[in-house]
Amino acid sequence: MTWLTQSATGAASEPLHKRLLSLFERVALIVGIAVLVAIFGSIRPEAFLSWANISTMLGSQSVLVVLTMALIIPLTAGDFDLSIAANLTLSAMVLALLNAKAGWPLGLAIPVSLGVGVITGIVNASVILYFRIPSLIVTLGTGTFINGIVLWISGSMTISGLSPSLVQWVIVTRLFGIPLAFYYALALCVAIWYLLGYTMLGRRLLFVGRGREVARLSGVRVTSIRFGALVASGLLSSAAGLLYVGTIGGADPLSGNTFLLPAFAAAFLGATSIVPGRFNPWGSLFAVYFLVVGITGLTILGIQTYVQNLFYGGALVVAVALSQLARGRAPGNQLTQQERTGPSRPAP
Amino acid sequence: MKITTKRLLATGPAALLGATLLSGTAFADTHVDAAKAMVEKYRTLPEFQAPGDPFDAKSCMAGKKIMVMPVSSANPFNKNIVQSMAEVAAPMGFEVVEWENQAVPTQWAQGVEHATNNDFDAVVLLGGVNPALLGPQIAAAKAAGVSVQTAHLDDTTQEPDPSVDLAMRVPYHEVGELLANWTIAQTDGKVNAVILGSDEIVPTPAFVKGITDALDACGEGCKYSYINAPVPEWSTKIQTSVQSAVIADPTINYVIPIYDSMSQFVLPALTITGRSADVKIATFNGTPFVIDEIQKGNVEMDIGESIGWVARSILDGSMRELCGMDAKNELYVPFFIFDKDNAASAGTPAEFDKGYGDSYIAGYNKLWGLE
Repeated sequence: MTWLTQSATGAASEPLHKRLLSLFERVALIVGIAVLVAIFGSIRPEAFLSWANISTMLGSQSVLVVLTMALIIPLTAGDFDLSIAANLTLSAMVLALLNAKAGWPLGLAIPVSLGVGVITGIVNASVILYFRIPSLIVTLGTGTFINGIVLWISGSMTISGLSPSLVQWVIVTRLFGIPLAFYYALALCVAIWYLLGYTMLGRRLLFVGRGREVARLSGVRVTSIRFGALVASGLLSSAAGLLYVGTIGGADPLSGNTFLLPAFAAAFLGATSIVPGRFNPWGSLFAVYFLVVGITGLTILGIQTYVQNLFYGGALVVAVALSQLARGRAPGNQLTQQERTGPSRPAP
Repeated sequence: MKITTKRLLATGPAALLGATLLSGTAFADTHVDAAKAMVEKYRTLPEFQAPGDPFDAKSCMAGKKIMVMPVSSANPFNKNIVQSMAEVAAPMGFEVVEWENQAVPTQWAQGVEHATNNDFDAVVLLGGVNPALLGPQIAAAKAAGVSVQTAHLDDTTQEPDPSVDLAMRVPYHEVGELLANWTIAQTDGKVNAVILGSDEIVPTPAFVKGITDALDACGEGCKYSYINAPVPEWSTKIQTSVQSAVIADPTINYVIPIYDSMSQFVLPALTITGRSADVKIATFNGTPFVIDEIQKGNVEMDIGESIGWVARSILDGSMRELCGMDAKNELYVPFFIFDKDNAASAGTPAEFDKGYGDSYIAGYNKLWGLE
C-alpha cells in the first residue's frame, strides 16, 4: 500500500487535526514559496516582485526541472540513475559538435543527440538487468565513462557557435513574458503527472518500485518496466541537455555535471509534498522553484554566496524532517517497516 | 561690481561648490584619460624585449628532464602550454614531460613522487597546482635534488609558497586594473559593475583587488559589487546571481567575469533578463570560444596571453634556475586586448595562440643562443 492510498483510505476516519496536518504537508512547499516571496517581496519589492525577476526565475531553471523529471521516473521504479548529469553533458556536447563544428542542421543534430540519451539508457538498463548489478553502481560507472567520452570528443574545449535559432526557441522567445523553456518543462511535468497518476503504465511503475517480487507475482513485467524507466531517464536527460545548450548557447565538457545533486535534492524534496511519500512531478517542480526563490531572494539582498549553500542544503534536510514530524514520525516513535522506508525505495 | 559681505556670503558657498565640482570633474577627466592611455597600451601587438642576459641553453640543458604538472590535463589552456614547452625543449636537447592528471591532489602528489624517483631535474607546478597541498612530496623532492617550481599561480603581489625554489608569478592585479580601466574608458568614468570571481583560486583576491582599487580610484562615478562563485558551482550559481544582480540594480552596465569561461553562464543571464544590449562583458584569459563571442558581438572584450609566449617564459625561468643563473620570480608575459576591432585576428573560429604576433619566437631563440 502506498502512502497515498494509506492517506486516502484513512482520511475519513482520521481526526480533524490529523487531516489538517496531512493537508498542510501536501501544500507545505507551496506555502514555503509564498512565505519566501512575502519575505523577500517586503524587503526589496521593486526588485523581487518585478515581472522581470519572476519571469527570469521561471525561465532560467527549466534545465533542472527537466533533469529532475528524468530522474523521478527510474526512482519511482526503484532504480537510481547517477548518469543523468553526465548524459545531459554528453548530449549537449554532441549537439554542439554536430551543429557548430560539423555543420549539421538542428533538425538532424537534435534527434542524434536525443538518440545518445536513449543509447545510454539502454546500456544502463541492459547491464543492470542482465547482470543483476545494483543501479547505483552501474550508473555511477557509466556516468564516469560518459564524462571521459565528453572530454575526449570535445578536446576539453567549450564549443560555441551553434545555430542561434536554438537559443531563440529556448530562452529568447517568450510567451506572456516567460521564456519558452519554462513551458517545455511545464509540459513535461503535466505529461509525467498524467503518466504516473492516470495510466496503467504509471501504476505498474509504482508497483515495481514498491516491491518487485510482489509486482512480479501480480503479473507485472518488472524487467520491461525497469528497462523502459531507465531508457526514459536517458532520453529526458538528453532533452535537458538540449535545453542547456539552448540556454547557454554552447556546450562545455564539465559544467553540466553539477546538476546531479540539485536534481536529487529537488526529487527528494518534491517527494515530501503534493503527493507525500512519492516521487511526483508537481512536488519536484515546486521544490525546484522553492530553492530558486530562496536563492534569488538571498542574492538580491546581497547576502554572501555561502549562505546560498546553507539554504540549499538546510532546506532539504529541514523539509524532509518536518515532513516526517508532520506524520507523527518523531524520533523514537514506533515506525512500521513501510513508514521507515520513506518514498519509493530505489534499490541501491 | 562692489562685492559686499552679504553678497560674498551668498555667493561663497556656491563658488566653493562650483570649484569643488570643477576640480571633481577635472579629477574624473584625468582618471578617464589615464584609463584610456592604459587601454591603448594593451591594444598594440606586444614586441619582445629580452627579459634577461643571453645564455647558451643547449649546453647547460643537455640531457636534463623537466616534469610539468598542469592543474588539469583537461584544461586546454594549461595543456597547450605544456605541449608548447615540450615542442620548444626538444630541439634544445632536453625533455619536458607532462604528468597527466584530472585536478586531483592525490594525482599531483603521485606526480611529484614520480619525478623524485625517476631522476627529473625539475618539477614545474603549472596553473592552479597549489604547493601547499604537496608539502611532504615537495620536501622529499628537494631532498633528492629536484628543483620544485611554480608557474602561472601567484600574483606578483602575493608571497609565494616558501617550499618552492622558484615561483614564476603573473601580475594578475595589473590585469584587474586593465579590466577596470577598460570599463572606465568606455563609460567616461560611469561604471556600475558586477565582478565575478572564484575565491578558492590562488590569485583571485589580488586580481579582484586590482579591479576594485582602480574603480575606487575612479571616484563616485564608479561602483561595483562582487560575487564569489566557486568553480564547481559556476553552472548553477553564476547565471542566477547575475540575473538577480541586474534585476535588483537596473543601472549595472558591466559584468566582469575575471576568468572568461564564466562568460558562458553570464550570456544567458543577460539574454533572459533582456539586458544584453546595455550590459557589457569584459573579461580575461583569451579562451577561443569567448573571442568567438566577441566576433558575434556578445562579449565586448577579452584580455589574452599568448600560450607560446607563456611556454617560453616558463622555460626561460626554469632553465635559468637549473643552470644556476639568476631567475626572476615573475613571468614575462605581455597581455593583449581583443575587442570587436581585432578579434578576427585570432581566427574564425578563434584559436589558442593566434593574434598575438610572433616576435617572441625569434626573440627567445636569440636569447637562448639558438640563432
